[in-house]
Amino acid sequence: MISERVQIARLFHRFSFGPKPGEFSRALKNGLAAASAELLTVPPNDEGLKSIANPTLTDLGPFPAVNSPNRKVFDDAMRRQRHDLTLWWLDRMVLADHGLTERMTWFWHGHWATSIGKVEYSFPMYLQNQTLRKYALGNFADQSRNMMLDGALQYWLDNGNNTVSAPNENLAREFMELFTLGVDQYSEQDVKLVARALTGYTVARSSGTVTFNPKKHDSSTLNILGKTSSFTAEQVSNHLVAQSQCARFIAQRIWFRFISDTAPLTYDNPLISAFADRDISALIKSAGTGAGISNPENSLVKSPVEWFVAVCRALKVTPSKVSKPDQVINFLDKLGQIPFVPPNVGGWPSGEPWLTTAAAQYRLQVAQYLLTQGDLRALSSAPSGDRYFMIGDLLGVPTWSVRTARALRNVQGDPTRLFLLAVSSPEYIVSI
Amino acid sequence: MDTLSRRRFLQLSGAAIVGASAPVLSISQIVQAAQSRPLPIGTPIVVIITLYGGNDGLNTVIPYQDSTYLQARPDISYAPSDVLPLDKDLALNGSMAGMKNLWDQKKLAIIRGVGYPQSDRSHFTSMAIWQSGSPTNQLSSGWIGRWIDTQPRDPMLAISLGSVLPPLMAGTIRSGSALPLGGIVVPTGALALDCMRLSAPAASDTKLLATAATSLRDLFDLSSNVTPVLKLPAPPATDLPTSNGGSAGGSSDLQQQLDLVAKLIAVGAPTRVWSVSLGGFDTHANEKGAQSVLLGNVSDSISRFLSQMRSTNRGADVTVMAYSEFGRRVHGNASQGTDHGTSGSVFLAGDKIAGGFYGDQPSLTSLVDGDLAVTSDFRDIYATVLESLLKSPVDQVLGSWKGRTNFVRKI
Repeated sequence: MISERVQIARLFHRFSFGPKPGEFSRALKNGLAAASAELLTVPPNDEGLKSIANPTLTDLGPFPAVNSPNRKVFDDAMRRQRHDLTLWWLDRMVLADHGLTERMTWFWHGHWATSIGKVEYSFPMYLQNQTLRKYALGNFADQSRNMMLDGALQYWLDNGNNTVSAPNENLAREFMELFTLGVDQYSEQDVKLVARALTGYTVARSSGTVTFNPKKHDSSTLNILGKTSSFTAEQVSNHLVAQSQCARFIAQRIWFRFISDTAPLTYDNPLISAFADRDISALIKSAGTGAGISNPENSLVKSPVEWFVAVCRALKVTPSKVSKPDQVINFLDKLGQIPFVPPNVGGWPSGEPWLTTAAAQYRLQVAQYLLTQGDLRALSSAPSGDRYFMIGDLLGVPTWSVRTARALRNVQGDPTRLFLLAVSSPEYIVSI
Repeated sequence: MDTLSRRRFLQLSGAAIVGASAPVLSISQIVQAAQSRPLPIGTPIVVIITLYGGNDGLNTVIPYQDSTYLQARPDISYAPSDVLPLDKDLALNGSMAGMKNLWDQKKLAIIRGVGYPQSDRSHFTSMAIWQSGSPTNQLSSGWIGRWIDTQPRDPMLAISLGSVLPPLMAGTIRSGSALPLGGIVVPTGALALDCMRLSAPAASDTKLLATAATSLRDLFDLSSNVTPVLKLPAPPATDLPTSNGGSAGGSSDLQQQLDLVAKLIAVGAPTRVWSVSLGGFDTHANEKGAQSVLLGNVSDSISRFLSQMRSTNRGADVTVMAYSEFGRRVHGNASQGTDHGTSGSVFLAGDKIAGGFYGDQPSLTSLVDGDLAVTSDFRDIYATVLESLLKSPVDQVLGSWKGRTNFVRKI
């Protein structure tokens, strides 16, 4: 078992994007039970999000020819929409008072890992993001069915041209292997059959509109994982999500990202039964209150976006309002992780791959820039002798090692340096 | 198209766990080792190129005269006029002029129909099989890793470029080292002192905290003799035409990796196995253009690299091997792409290689479950690399595996 302080810090950094100034001290005062109830339950309203307007994204239609006079206007609009979409989501992560919904949307984005690198259009990526947010803590069967017919995902995995005469198996395989069941839980024959059930759908890439044409759909009776029926895409999704293996697989994915990416989920872990009804909220509550969260060995590394958003929250920096918003995306690129651009359909890596020397260097650069944009009054208004004690509570860091404590005490006369070192320290990069 | 790459595989295979025990090297450490104990001239060096995503073998080594080929994939097949014929039946993809040149010099071996029994069509599982070297037992170690186990302890012995170690480099006792890419700018002045304090080892550090501290500390590990090496141009590719235009348009990530390997081999790094990679071969849609760009990158990068090596005194020592986790279906799909299939070709190139074809070309008419037959087992190739290039016994790595492929030139 670990102290209440460590557990509360874990809740803030894993089930939200780190505390806003003052939140961690308040939670400590109220105790673990209250903190966990508060952090794991989404309130009906979020004042922090009220100042954010949805981005004005539109269907930009087909690409004009390269030499057409409209091409430059089109390219500029594509760039602007992508910029607006990315910063809009980063703003939401930073400004939300209650971080769980955005944190879960972020998790699901990594799960259904669709990249704007191939989709190119921002509008369908935005629609997908809204779907992920709508079902972030809802029922996984609803989420899967909606994702099965999501335009960006369908385009990303080539289902638009999956036809009876020449099936394209990409979506079928990944839907089973990566989204609902896990590898080796189905046969090659199942891949072929599911691909047939997913025929007849076309996707308009720029709008993300998916259209079903019954004439092009393979409506033959298929036997998929023990059920014989003529399946539509939605029915296939329901059937896969209803497999008992789905509960184990999704519980494993939650465990991997929220609790431990090294210890396996045990066979009888309560997370699996908590997901019996495919209720994501119940699964998250189980993860946030179960034995895993208090096991001292279960530390995790903050991914670049998680680290960046946590620093912004502590500094009250709104990503779209900094002096050079493009620089924000450039920084995230150097750190190796930009929202809407996962490296592939498997999503981003976890753990040690983020702890490179190059990343250490870029984190210093990014933090230095954010410090020029942020509000450090919480620290600077305090007597310098108190600042070392305050920085841990400001950032939600449970304990400093002797090494880090020495480095921080040495600079507490300078709040900017103190903050820079604290967010670059091993104890902040890792959720202990 | 690029829905699969190395990172996904590494993530799914839990390689991060394996990699946790892997030393992470800085270029300075390698350069220092190169200066204090250079690899003796004449020691064979193997460079392994992993092509992630499942390269379409039939559009790489193309049965360009076979009407079945043209009929099976009308949208994405190549006409005889667009390919680089190797003999009357087979041709290289038109983007692979560099490899064709190596073929003409008899320095390129093409092993045909390579795979393993009961092919698995999951990227994850099939790549795990190739990298572990075992189709039957789910080994957590890699074939090069087990070779490392048999060698004297040396963190420079086998190096993978990139921050994450691929499973092929993980042994049961020791593993290869990872060399992260990317330039490093070292903090100076007061910040440098701050960072050195902040990154000192602490007794209370868990493994992750220690790794985080090390990653920061390594920023200062760059000594003055490193910068000159990095600033050096890569060794010149003297025997290539100065403009080998054509395929890719700009340098590929693979070329950057191989340039760094070339520099480090040229200064004498005591490294016998290098691992680099290229992703993006999962061509379910619009394959033709995308794959030809990738193959052009592979071909240009390999021929450039070998040419660079010939301008150093290591030209005769270096062998390059390129493989992918599976080939693709014979028939194209409706999106001008191909789905996951079975066997494909493996390439070996260098002065030590006796150029030519090895293994039978799988028939396009006698398919196995609708897919190409496997005519060569990849373990034959591994065993030959171990025995004839690395001069090491095979049994500690592949057990009693008896098969060999005689692609190494007899001296």
